[in-house]
Amino acid sequence: MNQSLNVTPAMPTDALPAIAPSLCVEHLCLQLAGRDILSDISFTLPETGIISLVGPSGAGKSTLLRCLNRLHEQWQGSITLADQNIQHDDADALRRKIGLIGQKPAVFPCSIGDNLVFGLNRQQRKQTTSAQIQTALMQAALWTEVEQRLHEPAAHLSLGQQQRLCLARALILKPSILLLDEPTSALDPRSRDIIEQSMLSLSQSMPLLWVSHDLEQAQRISSHIIFICDGKLIEQADADSFFRHPKRIESREFLRWSVCDC
Amino acid sequence: MITTIVLRLKKKRTQICVILLSIPVLVLPTACLIYILWQGLPSLSWQVLSGEGLSGFGIEHGMFGQILGSLSLMLGASLLAAPTAVALALFTRLYASSILQRNTITLLHLLQGIPPIVYGLFGLVVFVHLLHWGISLLVGMIILAIIILPLLVLNCLHALSGITAESTEAARSLGLNDGQLILRVWLPVAWPAMLTGLLLGMARSLSETAPILFTATVFSGVLWPDSLFEPVTTLQTHIFYLAQEGANAAVVSIAWGAATLLIALVLCFGFSALLLRRMEHAQRIQP
Repeated sequence: MNQSLNVTPAMPTDALPAIAPSLCVEHLCLQLAGRDILSDISFTLPETGIISLVGPSGAGKSTLLRCLNRLHEQWQGSITLADQNIQHDDADALRRKIGLIGQKPAVFPCSIGDNLVFGLNRQQRKQTTSAQIQTALMQAALWTEVEQRLHEPAAHLSLGQQQRLCLARALILKPSILLLDEPTSALDPRSRDIIEQSMLSLSQSMPLLWVSHDLEQAQRISSHIIFICDGKLIEQADADSFFRHPKRIESREFLRWSVCDC
Repeated sequence: MITTIVLRLKKKRTQICVILLSIPVLVLPTACLIYILWQGLPSLSWQVLSGEGLSGFGIEHGMFGQILGSLSLMLGASLLAAPTAVALALFTRLYASSILQRNTITLLHLLQGIPPIVYGLFGLVVFVHLLHWGISLLVGMIILAIIILPLLVLNCLHALSGITAESTEAARSLGLNDGQLILRVWLPVAWPAMLTGLLLGMARSLSETAPILFTATVFSGVLWPDSLFEPVTTLQTHIFYLAQEGANAAVVSIAWGAATLLIALVLCFGFSALLLRRMEHAQRIQP
């Protein structure tokens, strides 16, 4: 499915060429309170597709996402977006290009419509057309449910709808990449399926880096897998290869027990 | 029969102990309040408030001057302390390291425990004598602002602690800068609790007497100051001076009247804070 991951030669990977790499991470290291959280992580995201970031709890998956949109700033190494080092970019501007959706939906205490345009500046809010609002909500598979309710408080939506609103809120900023930190873990199966379907559609036009603990879900939706354990990148490969023929013993252990002893 | 009662009492002994221990806590302040109202309400009249046709110690000018003096000190102190408290709480939450946050909170709790008379002494030495501002409304406002500041900051921090990390991260992820985060995410959520804290701080500043006794107030000769650098008369200090004339029943009855007015003002702010807190709670649990 889609393009494949381009991997740096130093990493233990299935090397597959990427088409016009959008986000490139090289030798990323992060220490917090004297402890190595991430060690020498390198990978390149393709232009499209869902890339699942899997690994045991505490492996550093969510931290890695937060480094990618600079919610964590103390890392070392290099992260480039379209060949531009992201540290040279304004952090606030960068976060609009690299959207992040958290595990729990976080809607603000205002209407659905206001939540949707929350990330836009005043000028952009004034210029936002109903067509743009409709497009963002349709991309998040929410339009039909909130079409007549845009003035209602966002807190009145169900959890699944709130998560899709968060998604639409990120999409209206037209990001280059979307980072998803277990976006369906707090949702019921129906809401999960709706989000999975809308993400699969979105992944045709942009790369989605999706942290997941649910290996069945990762297998179902991913084009590629990045497996992280104890802050180290253990293996990255296309989804079929990773699930059928994992190269590393840690990967095999993880797939067998969903744990690993790295 | 007796065995059943004993068994029942044994089962409920914790409940009985707690009730017995809490009776004095409930009864004494309530009795005190009722007694003050009992003594004070009959002595309150338009004539006593306005001082029309009255002459004598502490009653010749009525009590409007004192009421205005107390309210102006309270409002001035709140206007000085509230923005500082909000700014300090935002700084602590947004920029301070966790160690600095912990130390700031400890310091604020310690500052709350300092006797107000000490602040009064500080005001007398620094503002009245050293800066030559004299006993004045401004010095009273500043001293009361210093006294209520720790309470306001702690309340603001408590209000900000109600904001979830998810909301903050979501706002950051949308590219909101610090100013936008504060104005569009934090303050809209935290302002009811902050306002509750401010109302409690206002009630506290109304009830302080010692620090303004020798920094801001005089007993007589002033109805309303012409500038911030002139002294005021207040209900708190008025009660203090009148109470010293214990032998004069008419004067003491005016003191009870002033006490009733002061309690009414303090309760007014206290109940407003309570009402606001209930509204905020109802808003939070709304689906």
